[in-house]
Amino acid sequence: MAQEKKKSSIKVGIQKFGTFLSGMIMPNIGAIIAWGLTAAIFMTPNGWFPNAQINNLIKPMLNYLLPLLIGYTGGKMVDDDRGAVIGAVATLGVIVGTDAPMFLGAMIMGPFSAWLLKKLDNAFQDKIKSGFEMIYNNFSLGILGMILAIFAYFIVNPIMVTGSRWASIGVDAIIRVHLLPLANIIIEPAKVLFLNNAIGNGILVPLGIQQAAKVGKSVLFLMESNPGPGLGILLAFMLFGKGSSKSSAPGAAIIEFFGGVHEIYFPYVLMKPSLILAAMAGGVTGTFLFSVLGGGLKAAASPGSILAILLVAAKGSYFGNLVGVLGAAIVSFVVAAIILKRDKGTGDELAEKQKQMKSMKSESKGQEMPSAQNAQSSVKSYADIKKVIFACDAGMGSSAMGASLLRDKFKKAGIKLPVTNTAVRNLKDEDGLLVITQEELTDRARQKAPNAMQVSVGNFLSSPKYDQIVANFKALTQVEDKPEKAAKPAEKPGLIIGIDFSKVKEVNFIRHDEHLGSATMATSLFSDAMKKAGKKTPVKAVKINELDDDPSHLVIVTPAAKKNLKLRYADIQIITVDDLLQDKKLKQIVDKLN
Amino acid sequence: MKLEKSMIKLNQDVPTRDQAIRMAGQLLVDGGCVEPEYIDSMIARNNDVSTYMGNFIAIPHGTDDGKKYIKKTGISVVQIPMGVDFSNPDDDTEQLVTVVFGIAGLNNEHLNILSQIAIFCSDVSNVAKLADAQSPQEVIDLLKKVGK
Repeated sequence: MAQEKKKSSIKVGIQKFGTFLSGMIMPNIGAIIAWGLTAAIFMTPNGWFPNAQINNLIKPMLNYLLPLLIGYTGGKMVDDDRGAVIGAVATLGVIVGTDAPMFLGAMIMGPFSAWLLKKLDNAFQDKIKSGFEMIYNNFSLGILGMILAIFAYFIVNPIMVTGSRWASIGVDAIIRVHLLPLANIIIEPAKVLFLNNAIGNGILVPLGIQQAAKVGKSVLFLMESNPGPGLGILLAFMLFGKGSSKSSAPGAAIIEFFGGVHEIYFPYVLMKPSLILAAMAGGVTGTFLFSVLGGGLKAAASPGSILAILLVAAKGSYFGNLVGVLGAAIVSFVVAAIILKRDKGTGDELAEKQKQMKSMKSESKGQEMPSAQNAQSSVKSYADIKKVIFACDAGMGSSAMGASLLRDKFKKAGIKLPVTNTAVRNLKDEDGLLVITQEELTDRARQKAPNAMQVSVGNFLSSPKYDQIVANFKALTQVEDKPEKAAKPAEKPGLIIGIDFSKVKEVNFIRHDEHLGSATMATSLFSDAMKKAGKKTPVKAVKINELDDDPSHLVIVTPAAKKNLKLRYADIQIITVDDLLQDKKLKQIVDKLN
Repeated sequence: MKLEKSMIKLNQDVPTRDQAIRMAGQLLVDGGCVEPEYIDSMIARNNDVSTYMGNFIAIPHGTDDGKKYIKKTGISVVQIPMGVDFSNPDDDTEQLVTVVFGIAGLNNEHLNILSQIAIFCSDVSNVAKLADAQSPQEVIDLLKKVGK
């Protein structure tokens, strides 16, 4: 059992890291497409309608815009707007001084600098005199940003360049020993880490040009640009994926195959790193088929779309090229499908059964039970819920649909709760939150928002859970209209133990330094409830040193105040509640008093 | 419009609701939002129709006649941790108030912040947070969260 837990937490960890990486890319896919289309259409001389002026856009977009956006987004994920700004500033340091697009560098510098800034802020924030916040905010970011950009320029940039050079050397070596297909084992992972352009344009294209000059065509042009492996993975997601990755895959597949924008499928692999095996298998197959069937291109196919490939295919090599691309797609599809399907079944019968039992149990209660480790917090009720958030992997599609569905249901039922959607990684832990996720994201959502109430659904669009949720909230509003009838004495009698209610002659709330107002309000609400229930025990707010140490006092406090109370008194009776005003226990206390 | 720190008075202890209203009104006067006459109009309005909103808050403001005393839109906050009863003297129900919002509104400029206050205070535990707030900034920060 313990091992089981560990295993799943490692899995969650890897998945989380993958989501983090893809989270930096996802919001920027639009920009990547803008660049991809510009390149596909207008690139000189290989575009469909070459245009030398528009061509000027392509390189800065790829080398500056995209890494800066990624650094910005990466920073934002760590520390909101300030993180975003410093992430972009620091990323520039990695970009300047190389010709390769520094996606990987941006993915490191963005979050890293935001994290540093956060640490710095934490250390200094409370030392800033009021009125100086603005100066501090701007200058701390400015100074740290400058330092990090310089650091990135002199330290990180060379490391990145060295890294991609090693990848080049590896590929180069494999090509020299004529084991061409094996080169894809290095190329595919490097591609996913956004080294695709470094490898494609940096190594393969120059070598390919030499070869093409001699024999009229080269397979090397195809090794990185082959859209087959990416296509296969995306098709597998279309059929066997889950949630947003499934629903966004068809569009991505079209962009990959016809647009040749490989960047589009990298996030999918980052989300589930084992899929790199599918990409490798596809790549190896493709290159093998190209070599055997006499495929090859006259020039570089950039971007790597099927159209570009056919456009620059050497005479007589159309068949080899097509079969190579399709073969790569089929193999990577099969491998990816196996990985995705195996993952879906979790492969572990025990875990599967446990899951089944748990969901059966929770269904009989009409409410999803959080897992055992969070059992204490599961007593939260619908009464505390202030908003509903649908969370999905990227916050792109499925959660928005689910949210609008529930919003609609709420509207019809007259429930006025905000329903929004977001990506799991953007969840903020707060009280009064109901988070709705797909089953497989529940773990991650719980890590992000341990205090929120959780409901998991199998399907965002047609889940019976929605109607249960609506019913629960509806019941609640009806109850609130008539608070007298709300008391349900039968409800969980075990919550209050060890209290001798017969001895209680006075109920007290404690007024202490930071809780004057809330104690006043709690006293008023409680005595109101007592009056309505026809109970006569007096209710008073007192200072902590005003009590007699005697069991005739029943003191209702928050957990924080209980400690201090215990230091002073031995015999008074104490009940702790999380919320002095609205805790469920309060009603039960009223019921038990005289 | 925004809440100003100088318009927030914490930890006040007042014996009557009129005094609580006067205190909220005086903050509006000191903040340059209204003429002193506006305060009387606030008292009049509350005698007319109570500005007790439930959930331990009250939002005293002037009558229609009192509008001519408004110089600019403003909102003041008075925190009364020990509470003050806003019910009519001859009424035996208790209308305890711990947070008083004094309102002077011109051209609906205050509606935005008022709706924030309304949404925020519709949850009594949020009111408790306001009633326990230790600094004007905390009050501002609490209310600011509503918009998000």
